[in-house]
Formats: sequence, C-alpha cells, structure tokens
Amino acid sequence: MIEIKSLYKTFDQVQVLNGLNLSVKDGETKVIIGRSGAGKSVLLKAIVGIIRPDSGSIRINGVEVVGLPDIQYDAVRKNIGLVFQGGALFDSLNVGENVGFVLDEFSRMKASEKRERVAHALSLVGLKKIENMMPSQLSGGMKKRVSLARALCMEPKILLYDEPTSEVDPITADAVDNLIVEMSRKLKVTSIVVTHDMNVAYKVADSIAMFYHGQVIADGTPQEIRSSRHPVVHQFINGASEGPITEDESMKFGHIK
Amino acid sequence: MIKAITTRTRGYLTGFFSYAGELSLLLVKTLLWTVTPPFNRYRFLAQAKRVGPGSFLISSLVALFIGMIIALQMAYMMLRLSAEIYIPNVIAVALTRELGPVLTALIVAGRIGAGITAEVGSMVVSEQVDALRAFAVNPVRYLVVPRFWALVLMLPVLTVFAVLIGIFGGFLICYFKLDISAFMYWQMVVDSLAVKDVVTGLVKTVLFAMIIALVGCHEGLKSEGGADGVGRATTMSVVRSFIMIIMFDCLFTFIFYFLFNA
Repeated sequence: MIEIKSLYKTFDQVQVLNGLNLSVKDGETKVIIGRSGAGKSVLLKAIVGIIRPDSGSIRINGVEVVGLPDIQYDAVRKNIGLVFQGGALFDSLNVGENVGFVLDEFSRMKASEKRERVAHALSLVGLKKIENMMPSQLSGGMKKRVSLARALCMEPKILLYDEPTSEVDPITADAVDNLIVEMSRKLKVTSIVVTHDMNVAYKVADSIAMFYHGQVIADGTPQEIRSSRHPVVHQFINGASEGPITEDESMKFGHIK
Repeated sequence: MIKAITTRTRGYLTGFFSYAGELSLLLVKTLLWTVTPPFNRYRFLAQAKRVGPGSFLISSLVALFIGMIIALQMAYMMLRLSAEIYIPNVIAVALTRELGPVLTALIVAGRIGAGITAEVGSMVVSEQVDALRAFAVNPVRYLVVPRFWALVLMLPVLTVFAVLIGIFGGFLICYFKLDISAFMYWQMVVDSLAVKDVVTGLVKTVLFAMIIALVGCHEGLKSEGGADGVGRATTMSVVRSFIMIIMFDCLFTFIFYFLFNA
C-alpha cells in the first residue's frame, strides 16, 4: 500500500506538489491524470526517491521513505519497478543486458538462469529473441516494452508507469494498455499509471485521481470520474479548450517534468 | 570601480572554492564506493581499454613530434654555444619532468575527459541516471568509480610510453641531423635522469588523472537541458580540466622545487 500525505515540492519557486494526498491499495491500479507539468512524473520520482520532497509523508508498505537515507531507501527501491516515459534504456548495453541489469548488479544467479529470466521477462511483454539488439535499433513501442520487461525482471511489488503510451502509435498503445492490465492481473502488483490519455485511463484503471495545481481534486472509479460534475475534471476528460483550465495558468503552476 | 572589482573577485573566488568543494565531495564518494562491495572489474577493464590502448596512438604521435621539435629548437640555440652535446639531457629532463606528463594529460583530457562528460551528460538528460537510482544503483559507483580508476592507472602508463617515444623523436633529430651517435645520445639521456625526475613526473600524472576523471564526471552528472546542455557541459569539462592541469602542474613544480629541491 502507498499512502501519501501533505506532500510538497517546489522547483525554483514553482510549487509543483502542493500538499498532495493520495492512497493506493495493494493490488490496485491507480491512474493519475492531469495536464502536462501537473506534477504527475514528479510524484513517481518522489515515490522512488529520485526526487526528494520538501515536506510531507510517503509510506510504502508501512515504511516512511521521506527523509530515509539512500542506503535504506535502496531496500525499498528494490521492490519498485519504474517504467520511464522515454524508456531510459542504457545505451551502452544491449536489450538482454538492459533487462537483466538488476540481476547482474544484485543477484548471484548463474548466467544460464539469468538468460532464462531475461527471456521470460521479454516474453511477458510479447518480445522474443531480441536480446542482442541495441536500444538504438528499437522502435518507441519496443523500447517501452523492454523498459517494462526490465522493471518486471526485478519481480517488483509495485509498478510505476510514466506516460506508457505517449509517442507510440494507437495499435502499440492498445497493446501496452493490455500489458498493464495483464501485469496487474497476473502478477497482482500495485500499479500507478501516469497519463493524460483518457482512453488509457478508462481501460487500465481501478481508480483514477486527477491532479490540478499540485493537489488531487478528484479520486474515484473510472465511472465516477466520467460522471464527475467538477468543472476542471469535466473540462479535462472531455478535452475542452474552454473552461476553468486556461493556457496561461501553467505559468503559475507546474510544467516541471 | 574598486567596489565592482572587489565584488567580482569575491564572486570568482566563491565560485572557485565552491567548485573545489564539489570535486572534493565527489572524490570522497568515489573513494568510499571503491571500497564498498560488490565490485565489478568488467566495467573498470572496459574503461581502462578506452583510456589506455584507445589513446596510445594519438599521445605517442604528439610525443614523437614534441621530442623532434625540442631537439630542433635546442639545436638552434645550442649550436651557437657549441653545446649541442647537451641536447639529449634537455630533451630527457623536459619530457620526463614536464612535457610528457602535461601534454599526455591535456590530450587525454580532450579525448577521454570530454567523452566522459558527453556520455554521462547524455545519460543524465535521457533519464538513464535516474533509472540507475530507481534500480538502487548509485551513479557514482556505476559511472564514476570505473572511470576514475581507469584514468588513475592508465594515464601514468600512457605517460611513460609518451616520454620514451618523445625521447626517441629527439634521437631521430640528434642522430640524423646533429651527428650525435646513438650510444652517446642514450648515454646522455640515462645520465641526465635521476629517479626523482621520474617520480615527480609520475606523481603529477596521477593527480592529473584524478582531475580529468572528477571534472569529466562532475560536469556530466550536473548537465541539464538536452543536447545543448550536454554540449556546454563538455566544453566546460575540457576548459576546466585544462586550466586545473596547468594550475596544479605549476603548484607541484613549486612544491617539488622549493620543498624537495627536485
């Protein structure tokens, strides 16, 4: 379970997280929606400890991680898989080495066992026999899948997806959506999916939270969000340019990746 | 006017000491992660191969020509004084104590230091360094430690070869142009060098290697803003490495000269 209370984060006087509260139950897939720069990716990085919040509380499976020293945080991180927006595959390693990266770093498995585990992780995301390819040879969709396979290789209890379907074609996006649902059902992992694509949100979510001005302004099932009367939520999910969300407000809040 | 100069000078000094502090902190972290298991020798070997064999040709070529140039420039002066017999001494001492270590360090700073910054900087802006952190892998342990030790161990080796090849370059001029016999040349070279000349040269080399590695990695790790930021970081890395190598060379020459009379 992930519990976030009164989380604040400021970058160069821009308040990105403004007393944010959020709760994700075990095995739940929580989708976070909001405009670009609303602090969605910052939250994921704060959960995994890449960005340290200014104040507030993040409890992961009962462990308070805000202020936790890096060495103790590493024990928590080993249970979290983060799928980066651009894949963040290591350029100098081939696909097999990327996927088996964590095994190479932390396990004492035999080479043959590692190969099997890597092949299994790749097969889970629908890829086969691409271990020797370099990341530069992969398409955007394949990079995302390999990135997911790399996260799965750790056998995490929590999976965080940062814009899993951005920059991929609609067919690949649908395949990635199916993967997220499948991972949740098969592996029973707790997932947080950050997106601004409502098709993804409705398809994969057990619940949806909307970020606005660094806070959660709505949190409920896909049906509840769909029927929300909150003017900001209504404008966002319908993609309307007219409404309370204006173009210039991003100057005051957010737009920090 | 004076106030403006004082303010600016204070700003430069603050910047300098702040930068020195950041590099010192990175050095401490690097040393701590060096002795923290698990150890990965493959990453070190890959970097050592890049620094050593990868830079051998260019550093040797430069050293060869520098040896020849010193011989020719010395000949211009020494022939007037009928003292051309001392040219091998000048070549040996200048290359061993000063030119060999400094020129090799500058070449490696331009080739390897810039490469390190560009590589690490690209990893930062493409979130690969964030990915390392997310996988509980410390970026200093993964990126800095192997590069640091590869440079510290390979730069002295490169320098030794550069000095030998530079002295050989001087020999070519002395033998073919100045009619100094081969036996005489090498005898003069060996006689002119003391152990302390070699030691002072190599001690400086180790320090230069540390500067190149720390500046290269530090600039890379703090780069931001995409390709433009990586480009700027790479330029800064080369400029700062060059300045620091020359500064520390001057400092060490003073120390060796005044304290150890070397």
